[in-house]
Amino acid sequence: MDEALHTARSCRHYAMCKIDFLGSGVCASGTAKQYVSYYPQGRMDLYAALAQGKIPVTEQCVAIADSCDLCGKCDYQCCFVTEMRPSTVMKALKDHVSRHLAAGGAVEQAVEDPLLKDIRAIVGTAWATSDRGIAATYAHDPCALAVSQMPAYVVLPRTREEIAALLTLFRSHEVPWVVRANGTSVLGFHLCAGAVIDLNRMKDIAFDEKNWAVRIGPGVAAFDLQREAVRRGYRVNVAEPAALVCGSTMCSGILSLFSAAYGTSADNFIDAEFVAPDGSLFSLNDKDAPNLFAFRKTGQGTPGICTSLTVKLHPRTDDEAGVLVPFRSLAEALDFAGECAVRRIGLAIGVLGAEYVASFIAPTRQLAAEAREAFENRLGIACMVLVIGDRYALRSITDMGHPVIDQRLFTALSLGLPALKSASWLDLVAELAAEEPFSYLKIEGFVELAEAALAPSPAKLARETAPELRGFYEKLYARPELTNLVWLNMFRITSTRIGRDKHFFPLLMYLPLDHSLISALNDGFSRIGERHQLKHEFGFVTPVDGGKRCIYEFDYFYDQNDRDDIARVQRATQEAGELIETHAAREGTIRWLKYLLYQGYCRKENLLYA
Amino acid sequence: MTAHGSRTVVLTGATGFLGSHLLAALLTRGDRVAVLGRGSAGESLATRIERLLAWFGLQALGNRVETAEIDFLQPLCGLARDRYDALCAKGGRIIHCASDTRFAASNRPESLATNVDSLAQLIELARNSGAPWFHYVSTAYAAGTSNPYCPEAPVTGETFVNVYEETKARAEQEVAARCRMHGIPYTIIRPSIVYGDARSGRANRFNALYLHVRSLSCIRDIYLEDIRDHGGRKARECGIRLGAQGTLHIPLKVAVARRGQVNLIPVDYFVAATLMLLEQAQPGTIYHLTSDFPKTLEDLAAYCEAFLNIRGIEIVYGEPLGRSLTPPEALFNRFIEPYLPYLADSRTFARDNTIAATAGLSPPEFTYEIFARCMAHAVRANWGK
Repeated sequence: MDEALHTARSCRHYAMCKIDFLGSGVCASGTAKQYVSYYPQGRMDLYAALAQGKIPVTEQCVAIADSCDLCGKCDYQCCFVTEMRPSTVMKALKDHVSRHLAAGGAVEQAVEDPLLKDIRAIVGTAWATSDRGIAATYAHDPCALAVSQMPAYVVLPRTREEIAALLTLFRSHEVPWVVRANGTSVLGFHLCAGAVIDLNRMKDIAFDEKNWAVRIGPGVAAFDLQREAVRRGYRVNVAEPAALVCGSTMCSGILSLFSAAYGTSADNFIDAEFVAPDGSLFSLNDKDAPNLFAFRKTGQGTPGICTSLTVKLHPRTDDEAGVLVPFRSLAEALDFAGECAVRRIGLAIGVLGAEYVASFIAPTRQLAAEAREAFENRLGIACMVLVIGDRYALRSITDMGHPVIDQRLFTALSLGLPALKSASWLDLVAELAAEEPFSYLKIEGFVELAEAALAPSPAKLARETAPELRGFYEKLYARPELTNLVWLNMFRITSTRIGRDKHFFPLLMYLPLDHSLISALNDGFSRIGERHQLKHEFGFVTPVDGGKRCIYEFDYFYDQNDRDDIARVQRATQEAGELIETHAAREGTIRWLKYLLYQGYCRKENLLYA
Repeated sequence: MTAHGSRTVVLTGATGFLGSHLLAALLTRGDRVAVLGRGSAGESLATRIERLLAWFGLQALGNRVETAEIDFLQPLCGLARDRYDALCAKGGRIIHCASDTRFAASNRPESLATNVDSLAQLIELARNSGAPWFHYVSTAYAAGTSNPYCPEAPVTGETFVNVYEETKARAEQEVAARCRMHGIPYTIIRPSIVYGDARSGRANRFNALYLHVRSLSCIRDIYLEDIRDHGGRKARECGIRLGAQGTLHIPLKVAVARRGQVNLIPVDYFVAATLMLLEQAQPGTIYHLTSDFPKTLEDLAAYCEAFLNIRGIEIVYGEPLGRSLTPPEALFNRFIEPYLPYLADSRTFARDNTIAATAGLSPPEFTYEIFARCMAHAVRANWGK
């Protein structure tokens, strides 16, 4: 397989090329055309489909190829997360189409059938198509459970009324549909042979500051909403930066480390408007609306399409900062996180595994591996607990007697990562702390010493990246927010690095913050992973509802293009599901993602305790 | 078969510094050794011993070693009855070197378990196996701090500088009481602080003195690199500068409560003296393996400066430093913190029993040449990393 095709087929669909998270700009054609097909992510899928002969060259293929000016912005964005270089694929796509045209190859024209004509009558000609070049970019996702399906139509409505008309039309023609917004489907739920409704055009954001609320359209990505909220001095609780806020809420409710303070599911919003599958309209605050605040421990169908969400705004203070508290065991870390939650210390709390921390902090997989080796094997750090809070919260943690990696030391570690591998002093400080773990972090001036030893700088970090991107990385990492724990966790721009090596399947659940229970599940998931020869990692735990419960994630990693890997992860997730069900039946307190799907609007109390 | 016949010795702590050197010496003189211990980090005891023998160049004598993974806190040492009986059938003398050498009070439960509680089963093993001797390797500092002169006599002191000393003292009392109760002849061997082989400089553990030199070496390297590769801003902030002949001037005040002396013996002396004691020991006797030429802190600081090509170490006696410390000072003072009582120690040790049993064998004075030899080896060995 040539490099371009391999890269194209490896696209994770994390949609990071659709948000300007690095301040380097977004693909201009995507912004103009809105179809995912015109973003780098879509071009990756399109090239893969063309190169593998799955579709002919179509009119839209030609337009998509022509619209790319090889500006290279996608390289910055994708490389930051996955180390992949989409521009190779962009060029290959243009070359493929050019060669085809030069050889006099045919260009397929999409036929406007009567249904498409009706759809276009609702949304406008430009916003609906049956072109197979477009459809191919909505036809699959990297989830091991996904079954690829080429949609007959792709539609981009602009308003709630258009959506209502579309659903009525589809219902009358018995056309199945799924809804996507950012093309971010990664769990295999949004594939369909009928119509894909892409909500990318519905990006309205309207602040209602008097009521601590912001009303957003379903096409608004978490990063864009957070950026606008922060600009006004607020914060919102959102998921991964490219994930659509409405979609995340629908899928699972908003889960983030800030859920420790801001809650989950219905805690995060004030109201939501829907178009029901039959085309009728309702708002959650209607007295006679379907009761989406309820939770049932069974699989549910979609309640419709969320067309706007009124999200809660949270205040920020100018003394917020973050610390990482290292621990030698998961159990100790869980206990500490639970204690913080019970005492209401901190806004964001997360127990992070070594793989998570190393992946987040490092811009390359090589550095991530070295960081993990340093943290885990040389310093004996099994887990870190991230706590973000104001100065009173952070003072409380110090008072609790825990050694911490503070913001300044975190910056030194981040920008000095290349020096960690050869830092012989790491072994020494670890030995120093043999009798009191991590006590070196309490040494007066330790951060100065670390700065002297690591010589951290953006240039030093950039030297570890591809030569042609070094200038960009040096400027990027010169920005303080790129190493700021608060900013990084608020915008979560590095969290998708967890999928840098391979795509992953997350096992997500709510359960009591009990280290014995979590350790038992963790050990069970690990054994399953080992049995199926899958890379597997503890992900994170975040306390919710004052530490009475927590969110727990464990991940299986797999090569999305390897049939054996996919088969193994399918078996592993099946077994993991059985393990969860066994524990759930025994404990009566475990709720996992399988049942949460489409119930993310439920009351937290119904989800956790009912 | 050697001059004294091939005998079986039961040895604990054989994976440690002193125990491994004793193991090598016992094998070299022709003994068979039954090593009792634990696996570690997924590695079996047998594998650990195999690696140690390779370090000593004694792989060929591996067939004289038998290992048993035991748990001294369990009945029958955690062994199945038949395995325990087979161990008892060996009937050799027992040398108990195993020890938890950590100082921190937070490790009290583990220290008590390893150093004291374990003795019940071990001495029971000695009784059941008809062991002709029980030799307990203690520490010269088990005598406690109440008396600056430490006779080769049972512990009477009740004040100790750390949990290690305290548990070793309690262990001595436990050994004496239990061995007397069962009629097992016993000795207590009390070495002071042990460094590598004075003749070759070799060592397979780099704790105590080595840790101090290594930390100074580490601080030196950090600031040398800062000066050479990064403009030296961090060094200047700490008053560190590079002088002639590449000498690094590091203003480094070390706060010690009072003047003291560090009692150091080389491991080769420890081994030679212990082998002689095995042959000449008197039941119920305590032996100090200590030096009559302890070194002052100034001596050791000068050794470090010469070896590392640094200057600026200043020993300050009395009150803690009256100003905030520079980062390297804070780090180094934190490094030596657990050892401070030994740097301010003025205890002296009687050696009459030892001299009588070892035909006057004495450790060499810890000269700079020996220091440099040992540290050069440590550097070559990358401090055991």
